[in-house]
Amino acid sequence: MSTELFEKAVALIGAVLVGGTAVVQFRNELPLRSLDANVTKLLLGLMIVGCVLAFLAAINVLGVHSAA
Amino acid sequence: MSATTLDPGQSATSHAAVAARFADVDAVYATTRDLRLLGFVLFLVSDCVFFSSFIFSYLYLRTAAPVWPPLVDGKQLPYLDVTFAAVNSVVLFGSGVTMHYALESWKKLKKGAFNGWMVATIVLGIMFLLGQAHEYSGALQIMSWTGSSFGATFYTLTGMHGFHVFIGVIYLSVLLVQANRGVYTGSKYFGLTAGTLYWHFVDVIWVALFFMFYLW
Repeated sequence: MSTELFEKAVALIGAVLVGGTAVVQFRNELPLRSLDANVTKLLLGLMIVGCVLAFLAAINVLGVHSAA
Repeated sequence: MSATTLDPGQSATSHAAVAARFADVDAVYATTRDLRLLGFVLFLVSDCVFFSSFIFSYLYLRTAAPVWPPLVDGKQLPYLDVTFAAVNSVVLFGSGVTMHYALESWKKLKKGAFNGWMVATIVLGIMFLLGQAHEYSGALQIMSWTGSSFGATFYTLTGMHGFHVFIGVIYLSVLLVQANRGVYTGSKYFGLTAGTLYWHFVDVIWVALFFMFYLW
């Protein structure tokens, strides 16, 4: 297995695991209404977006021009 | 039950239980906690403005350039390695997840789990920094800080973000020591809440940088 393929696999599996866990954490925070809970919800939501981006990069949907 | 002690043997499994425990704390703490929380959120907002100014500089330079990556000595700079950056991103996002679990463990009075998640967060943060160092070692072969607008914006933004991660690793290490010295209790743990918010913020800034420099 080439290094790039291995890195893509790690990124793919990692993005799914981390993103899925972040979604669970986000859902647990949803009923809470305090300021820190609301900020946490916002930041967790954006982190989930980041996991989606990493997932799309790992499957060559985004960043396909980026071969250095 | 004392509101100022943390007994790892006790367990509270819901936010309602934590709220009930929080009701026991003194009024001064309850009042100042809200003010400190507001102050910390405002600090994060100011940090967001700080990064935004650099991000908009990058957007201006990128959209104004005839080609991107820009030309240096007549040759176009290459794009950065997206695959390694994706792995490094997942490492940083993973540290956000472990930090969240650390705070939740503390709220549920599970001190052993808290220590484990905190150590995992710190280790992942250090791994991200090492990944960034590796990224820099490759990037410095193709572009310098002063040689192009790409290099200037890339090293400035990712460098400032890396500095935030570095400070965050120190911050979390201090929190871990403080927590084990009894500075925080099951009802008074504002420092841990602030640390979690800061670490999530650092994650979110990287989402923007990852998209701008590697995926766009």
